[in-house]
Amino acid sequence: MNRKGILFLVLALVLLLSCFLHLQLTEVSVTNEAQANTLWWEFRWPRLISALIAGAGLSLSGLLMQNLFRNPMAGPYVLGINSGASLATALLMLGGFSLMTNTLGLVGSSLLGAFLAAAFMFFVSWRVQQTTSLLLVGLMFASFTGSIESVLQSWAAPEQVKQFFLWNMGSLQQLSAQQVPWLLTLFGAALMWSLLLVKALNAFVLGQDQAFQLGIRTQNVRFSMLAITALLAGSVTAFCGPIAFVGLAIPNLGRQLLRTQDHLQLILFCLLFGALFLLACDILSLYLEPYFSLPINVLTSLIGAPYIAYLVLRRS
Amino acid sequence: MIRFQHTEIGYHRPLFTIEDLHLQTGKVYALLGLNGSGKSTLLKTLAAQIPALSGSLTINEYTTEQLVKDGRLRSQQIAFVSSRFEGVEHLKVWNYIALGRIPYTSLFGKLSAKDQQLVNVAIERLGLTHLTQKLTMELSDGERQMVSLARAFVQETPVLLLDEPASFLDFLNRENLLIALIEWVSEAQRCVLLSSHDIDLCIEHQLPLLVLADTKLQEVQGLSKRAVMALLSQKS
Repeated sequence: MNRKGILFLVLALVLLLSCFLHLQLTEVSVTNEAQANTLWWEFRWPRLISALIAGAGLSLSGLLMQNLFRNPMAGPYVLGINSGASLATALLMLGGFSLMTNTLGLVGSSLLGAFLAAAFMFFVSWRVQQTTSLLLVGLMFASFTGSIESVLQSWAAPEQVKQFFLWNMGSLQQLSAQQVPWLLTLFGAALMWSLLLVKALNAFVLGQDQAFQLGIRTQNVRFSMLAITALLAGSVTAFCGPIAFVGLAIPNLGRQLLRTQDHLQLILFCLLFGALFLLACDILSLYLEPYFSLPINVLTSLIGAPYIAYLVLRRS
Repeated sequence: MIRFQHTEIGYHRPLFTIEDLHLQTGKVYALLGLNGSGKSTLLKTLAAQIPALSGSLTINEYTTEQLVKDGRLRSQQIAFVSSRFEGVEHLKVWNYIALGRIPYTSLFGKLSAKDQQLVNVAIERLGLTHLTQKLTMELSDGERQMVSLARAFVQETPVLLLDEPASFLDFLNRENLLIALIEWVSEAQRCVLLSSHDIDLCIEHQLPLLVLADTKLQEVQGLSKRAVMALLSQKS
């Protein structure tokens, strides 16, 4: 087996071990079987799934964004995809549409918001070619949606504000047992769809004109990539809140370690390492829980932000 | 190989019409024209990025409408080399050239033994063996253009289009590029068309010239540089 095969095998094994460790840390001693069962289905299992799917999904959506924008600094968070989902959710939670705050409403609005934000950013990327301008627009968009959310908060009832505030912190503990199948289905669909695009992703590395010349249906592929990104970032944001830097950092790490532009390898890496990274963050926060509680967003930023800064410095 | 009949070329609105022109196999055609004369639009039409506005244009018997729509067909008929390949981070030369096999590979783009062999053959014939493990970002302009040519060669298309391929090259690299192209067309039923501003080089190698000026495209050969320049700058 070659070097990369071994790397993937090791990653898969470490991921498996981490799953066991995570389950061990979330174990609570209870007196009877029924309680243990409830704990498992309502708390431990959803939290594990949250960590795995959020990590893998955000990394994969980052990989697609970076490919589509031909820019290694693109990602669902910096380009405001999360913000779109966040704004749509805020409108739902705070705007008084309380009738719709069930799972369907939450997921639907989040996906729609993510997709609209992705489409908006893609439109902007046609007009401004420069990376810095694009990222600035993304930042402004995030700031703008943040302000609207503040305005909405000032109107809303305290109970709704609290609910929204908790969601907005980003957490792996919000996923309920009934929502697990939703997240798994959306993620599975997005993953299958992106596997169908592997060849197109490889060709897009050369730019869209050249990809077209290599027989790729560039228009379809562009739309597919936006839709997949929205599916992934939107569903993860709906259930776990906005989580920063994972989508930006993991694909870059993948390219750096594997030294390749083969997107089949990169997708596999994003799935394994993305899941492992967020799981490791959650394990860390579980260890630290007796002393102080760290929201997941804080941890990912603590590790992700310096790495991205290092990448930017290395490139210039 | 490429046949124009009353073909209106343009992007949304017509720029010029080509009445009757037939580009044959076994030749390297040089497309000459001043800036803004419509060279790029013509190349884009031939590359099936945009359809001909009216009249007929067939490439190896296929109409541009067919080629615009059908990606696989297009990619197996026409290869395109742009004036500059900037290189891609983390992409090695060998893997870059292998991307030219995308029109032939299966869903995940896995290369067959034949694909790999074709890549190696192209590398050898263009003398790029020493570059295969280098990153595309590390190459010089000359090396990058030869590597792009190799990528187009492995695409195995009857038609090869090059958009000012020599503009960033020194005289030695220009010479090498042109010699490689002339060899390439002589081997099988192939046709090459390149746009250029280097009249001297085209005349020196006795390329058939397609002069685009004053909304007319005419094929000429054996003219002096002075005569070609006069043709290029004529206005009605």
